[in-house]
Amino acid sequence: MSKILKKNYDLQGLEISRLAKITLVGKILPLGNLAGGPGARFIIILGFLHYFGYPIYWLLARFGHRVKILRQINARLRP
Amino acid sequence: MKFPTYYSLASLIKAGKKKAKNKQVISFDLFDTLLIRRIHDPDIVKLPVARYISDLAAQQGISKGWQNIQQLRDAIEQRHRQETAKNFVDQEACYPHFMQELLEIIFQSKFNESLLQQVTDYELAMESTMLVPRQALVEWMKELAQTGKRIFVISDIYLPSSHLQRLLQQAGLNGFIEQVISSADTFFAKASGKAYPMIAEKFAISCQSWLHVGDNPVADGLRAAETGIDTLIIHDPREDQRKALVKRYYHYSEIKPLLRGRALQQLMAPLEGENRAVSELYVEGYNFLGPLIGIFLQQIRILCQEKKISKIFFLSREGWMFKQYWDKTVATLYPTGDLPETEYLYVSRMALAGASCAHQGLTKTNAYIALTPRGNRDFRDICRIFSLDAEKLLPHLVAHGLTTDTCLSPAHEGYRAEYRENFDALLLDQAFQDEVKRQTKGSNEAMQRYFTEAGLFAHENIAIVDIGWLGTIQRFLFEAIAHRPDCPNCFGMLFGAIRAIPYPEGRKNTIRGIMFDSQRFDLAGSTLYYAQDIFEEACRAPHPTLNGYRLTEEGYALEFRRADDASGLAEQEQDRYFAPLQQGILDSAEKFAAAAALLNFSFDDWKPWINFLFLSKLAFPHAREVANIRYRHHLDDFQGNKKPVAGAGKAFIPLWNQSPTQLKFNPLLRIRYFINHIRQRINE
Repeated sequence: MSKILKKNYDLQGLEISRLAKITLVGKILPLGNLAGGPGARFIIILGFLHYFGYPIYWLLARFGHRVKILRQINARLRP
Repeated sequence: MKFPTYYSLASLIKAGKKKAKNKQVISFDLFDTLLIRRIHDPDIVKLPVARYISDLAAQQGISKGWQNIQQLRDAIEQRHRQETAKNFVDQEACYPHFMQELLEIIFQSKFNESLLQQVTDYELAMESTMLVPRQALVEWMKELAQTGKRIFVISDIYLPSSHLQRLLQQAGLNGFIEQVISSADTFFAKASGKAYPMIAEKFAISCQSWLHVGDNPVADGLRAAETGIDTLIIHDPREDQRKALVKRYYHYSEIKPLLRGRALQQLMAPLEGENRAVSELYVEGYNFLGPLIGIFLQQIRILCQEKKISKIFFLSREGWMFKQYWDKTVATLYPTGDLPETEYLYVSRMALAGASCAHQGLTKTNAYIALTPRGNRDFRDICRIFSLDAEKLLPHLVAHGLTTDTCLSPAHEGYRAEYRENFDALLLDQAFQDEVKRQTKGSNEAMQRYFTEAGLFAHENIAIVDIGWLGTIQRFLFEAIAHRPDCPNCFGMLFGAIRAIPYPEGRKNTIRGIMFDSQRFDLAGSTLYYAQDIFEEACRAPHPTLNGYRLTEEGYALEFRRADDASGLAEQEQDRYFAPLQQGILDSAEKFAAAAALLNFSFDDWKPWINFLFLSKLAFPHAREVANIRYRHHLDDFQGNKKPVAGAGKAFIPLWNQSPTQLKFNPLLRIRYFINHIRQRINE
């Protein structure tokens, strides 16, 4: 027995790690049309959010108002 | 002004239970508190509504793009809010008012009240598909209602109370709530705090006996506290994480086509109480096969529009699943209607094979098709497949130096090339063909009566939808009706077209594979070859296969295969084993429709994700997945039970037939198989 959506909001049987793995195999073998793959940057961001998103958002919910200054700096640094 | 904020529902409910003891009235904020949305941005739900209005306008001969309609809606809503702000503190708008104005502008003299009702119904249906009740809160709310507390739901939104009640009704929550209050009715909102005194006065509530639960620190927290209401605020980091993910999948899908399918499935995923523990087969049905079938059917609808097809025939037995999936998705995906009729047609290769001989006789190609499966050996197998009486045909065979047991297949012992030559000569014998036609005439007549009743001859263009793979059923079907002057143009649409035997396409008879067609080089799609039978078993109807059509005094009768022999019982066991998988597929249909309507992507957009699903699940499956999805029994009546000579084309063990140990511990097994697969496809 398992759940369709995992606790980290990843899909059971179609985890982001599996997407990354198939993409990696695609670097070695021709797999067919994956339209350029998911993109390394996006895989990293999505993987990070799936696996570490909860503690990050917990911290932000509790102390987010105290790191407002950091957000402002981040906003300025964005292109 | 202080008010407590909680970072999990459990802690909020624990505190709420303590506080609620001294309260008579408990009110809940609706959106993001009692109900959560699957999508991160509620405005995205408006887009399918704009597309719906655009389609309705097109039906009336008005050309207006959905993007323009959306802009116009936003502008009108904005103006309504500004108008409200002249007389009220809150800048609220009311959906029926601005939507009516929008529709009047678009439809001019063609506008009527029913149009507004239609659009409202669709918008609420779309909203409803995107809303999920928060299970823990709902349970607490029910507990409170049972202890006699007065329950209110308060929302700052453009939908009036009557519409919110419908949403709550669809979520199964309306039975416990005394009143649903919306800012759209009075223009007194929680945001300014004006709603609270108005509600207290209208429903004779003392603020000291009132507890409010919400998510907005200002509207639900500060303003309520200022009015003297006890308040609890939820800020759930899990919800933040979920929305952050959905938001990114949604936005990344615009840049990365592969992620479009993933975004679709992320939106389809069940949440809260929907996401219960289920069997692994159910998960495979929901996450793997369901979306594939949904995309397949979406493309069929597009092709029906292109080819002006007015009726779709879903062929038994796999068409059973396709039709059910279709029925569950059309209302959400195609709200304007304008869809072809649909029918589940009872057919099978065995039933149609005989019927196909009534006018053209037994053709060489068809006879060779019957000899293709390795279990078929001689004329008896041909007679079994084409429902022929071998004894009555024996004199014709003898005249050509053959018997019913003469080996006609090179895969079997005793085969000689001259037997095939004699057999070819037999097929050219007019007396033999006349006897074949005489024997199959009855089943063809019965079949035509059934097809006439099913409306097959009442349409100029029909779609014939089946799982695949060679198109034999459509081949026999078309050959059985080709002599009729009212024979429709048959557009065959297969889930996968393998085309191991060349299909005789013509002006009135075409076939194409939607998810995979061997006519196109599609490496990822061709991984269907790995385990195509699992698709058959997953979609197969839980009734026996059709053996034939029989003429009766009333017209015709469908003759099904017996279900009480060893094969029938094995099939029933397989049905029971795959029942959770089929349930998973069916349960995914409505969620697929809602997510696909929201994202509005086409088949080409989904294709990279389809390829990924095929690759990951068929070519690179986990050992556990193979163990789960591999079928237990697979009935193939076409296949005889004769044993071919040892070593004739054998030795290859498919990946899906490998032992669990090999699948689990051999690290390069899948790579090796895939390299072999590439080689085979290139050599094809």
